[in-house]
Amino acid sequence: MKKLILSTATLLTLVAVFAFAPAATNWQIASKYNIRFTGGGDVGGIFKTFKGSIAFDEQNPGASNFALVVEVASVNTGNALMNNHIKSAEWLDATKFPQIKFTSKKIEKAGAAYQVTGDLEIHGVTKEVKLPFSFVAKGAAATFNGTFTVSRNDFHIGKPGGDVDENIKLEISVPVTKK
Amino acid sequence: MLKRLLFLGIVSGLLAGVAAIIYQKVYSTALSVDFSAVVKTAAIPIATIVGCLLAALGNWVLYLLLKSKSEVIFNLLFAILSFASIAPAFGAKLPLDSPAPPELLPGLVIPMHFFPIMAYLVIRPLFIKNVVEAPKA
Repeated sequence: MKKLILSTATLLTLVAVFAFAPAATNWQIASKYNIRFTGGGDVGGIFKTFKGSIAFDEQNPGASNFALVVEVASVNTGNALMNNHIKSAEWLDATKFPQIKFTSKKIEKAGAAYQVTGDLEIHGVTKEVKLPFSFVAKGAAATFNGTFTVSRNDFHIGKPGGDVDENIKLEISVPVTKK
Repeated sequence: MLKRLLFLGIVSGLLAGVAAIIYQKVYSTALSVDFSAVVKTAAIPIATIVGCLLAALGNWVLYLLLKSKSEVIFNLLFAILSFASIAPAFGAKLPLDSPAPPELLPGLVIPMHFFPIMAYLVIRPLFIKNVVEAPKA
C-alpha cells in the first residue's frame, strides 16, 4: 500500500512539474525578414521565401526550438543570369534540393546573446552547426538577428576555388510577433 | 550636311524615345512589373536622343571619309553597335529589394536598344538624299 501511495505521489509530482514548466513562446515570422548572403566581389543576394516555426523564451532558451525552411528557388541576386546560375546543378541545384532547412537541437545563452546548435541542410548535405544570434523584444514584437559564415565546400556547393569565396557570409534578420 | 544630320539625330532620337516610353508602359501593364526605379521614364528620351546624335556625328564623319560608300558602312556599324549595346542589359544588377524580377528586365530593355536605329533609318530619307547613286539605265 505504501509503495502504491509513494508511486502515485511521484507520478503526480512529475505530472505537476511538466504541466507547469514554462513553455517557450511561439512567434510568428513577420513579412519584412531579410536572408542575405555574400560571397566576395559581386556575389551576393537574398532569399525571398522563408518560413518555419519559432518557439523562443529569453528566460528559458533550453525550452526553445527553431524549425526553419528557405526556398532555394526564391534566390535573388539582382541579375537574371546569376539567378539561373546559382539555382543550377553546379551550385544549389534548386530542382533536386528545393529547400535549405535548419532544425535546432539546443539553444543556450552565450554572453549577452544566444547560440543555437542544430542541423543545417543545404544541397542535400546535413551538418551540425552552431549559430550565434541576438533577440531584441519590444512588446509583442521582437527581432532575431544573426551573422555567421558557412563553408560552401562543406555542403558541396560549386567547385572549390574560383571567384566565389569558400566562406559564404549569411546575415539574417527575422522580425516576429507573438502568436 | 552636318546640320541636316544633327536635326535627323534629334528628331529620330525623340521618336525612338516616344516609342520606348510607349513600349515601357505596355510591357509594365501586360506583365504587371514596375521597373521605373531602374529604368527611369525621363532618362529614356535623353538616352535615345544622345544615341541618335552620336549616330548622326558618326554618319557625318563617315560621309567625309568615304563619300558614296559611307551609307552602307554606317548602316552596318550602327546595327553592330546596337546589337553590342544589349550586352550590358544582361549583366545589369537590380537592387535586391526591387519588386520586379530581374529575369524580366532584358525583355524590357533589349527592344529599346533597337528603337534608335529603327527611327534613324526610317526617317533618314526625309532629311538626307541617298548618297549612293542608282545605276543609270
